[in-house]
Amino acid sequence: MKFTARLPGTNVNVSPTHPLKEFAVLAGGLLAAMVGIYLIMGLAVDLIVPRISLSLEQKLAGAFSARITDSEKLAGATRSLQALVDQLQAHCAPLPYHIHVHVLQSDAVNAAALPGGNMIVFSGLLKKMTSENELAFVLAHELGHFVHRDHLRALGRALVLMTVSTVLLGADNSINRMIGKGITLTDLSFSRHQETRADEFALKTLFCRYGNVADATTFFRSIPKEEDPWRFGHYFASHPDNRRRIAHLEEMIAEHGYPLGRPRPLPPILVIPKNPS
Amino acid sequence: MVDLIIFLSLLALGYGAGTWAEKRHYRSIAEREQATVTLPAVTLKSVDVPAHKIRSAHLVHGNVVISVDYFKRLLAGLRNIFGGRVKSYESLIDRARREALLRMKAMAGDATVIVNVRIETATIGRQSRRKSTACLEAVAYGTALTVER
Repeated sequence: MKFTARLPGTNVNVSPTHPLKEFAVLAGGLLAAMVGIYLIMGLAVDLIVPRISLSLEQKLAGAFSARITDSEKLAGATRSLQALVDQLQAHCAPLPYHIHVHVLQSDAVNAAALPGGNMIVFSGLLKKMTSENELAFVLAHELGHFVHRDHLRALGRALVLMTVSTVLLGADNSINRMIGKGITLTDLSFSRHQETRADEFALKTLFCRYGNVADATTFFRSIPKEEDPWRFGHYFASHPDNRRRIAHLEEMIAEHGYPLGRPRPLPPILVIPKNPS
Repeated sequence: MVDLIIFLSLLALGYGAGTWAEKRHYRSIAEREQATVTLPAVTLKSVDVPAHKIRSAHLVHGNVVISVDYFKRLLAGLRNIFGGRVKSYESLIDRARREALLRMKAMAGDATVIVNVRIETATIGRQSRRKSTACLEAVAYGTALTVER
């Protein structure tokens, strides 16, 4: 056999696939798998939450509750809000929880339901309040989340998301930090259905407490777009769902024939002077 | 957020610089392979030439170390999850082996043939249980024979 010096025409040892295409396929597949796991775990959370006993919830929330520090300056407001919530609970919204109200100094116009019966009210919300009825509606709305245990669902989902992102990106990643902040600073996001149920509960509680539903929808209307610093808050008029929520409340008022009545003024201790800025 | 920016810049840098270096390397490999095509490097243990005609026989070797870029490493990491061919490392091994062969041929100079050629591959710079960039080493060696015409 004669030796002929020549180079091989093609390179069989390197796959012709473009690396960027391979990257897109692999990263996309991984992302899809993680989204799938998140959805399945989310469903699992929804199944488990109704079975979590109150004592277990208290235990789970133990470390969490200790981290909430009440502002000294707002101690009066906290007591007054606690009294309002206690009244609502005693007469109209029997809950197995003992609700602790915490007022936090923050410009966020929001309130949140946290595990272990902790309710957070931001001082920014109090500044916006024009009547006791309006405030009672917001508080009753949060009580509605406790009744339906929506706070545990949202927390469970946040926990699942944290687990998935930890597996994917390591323990100290930006998603975890974002959720960590999100749990203490702004409300946990609830689904449209959960909000509607909480609204219905709040409306019934309001009627039960005051015999009328004055100012039930005032709050949704009163917050202009530019004052929504989080863009996710569940009371804001800028929220696309809120027009629907107002309509739903008005429908319910008409259906049950709730009288509108006159709102009561806010207790003086809850009137927080607006910042000049 | 900062993590993400660092990660994406490293990814872009890895892809950009890695692709550029690879293209350049392949161009150089192709040119030199063409230039040394008349020096056969074979795996046969000996050639059918009478012993007295062989003027010299000596060991020649060539070795090279090539590093993985960030993008390729990430791609291989993703492959670790799903399984399958680690295509991003294929070109790396290919380049390393061909470069080692070329360096061996360069060492052989004006020899007639290189017999008993072997190629070996090793990873270096990889510490156990620590995330550090692995480098790939390829070494090619053989016996260069100069035959009297």
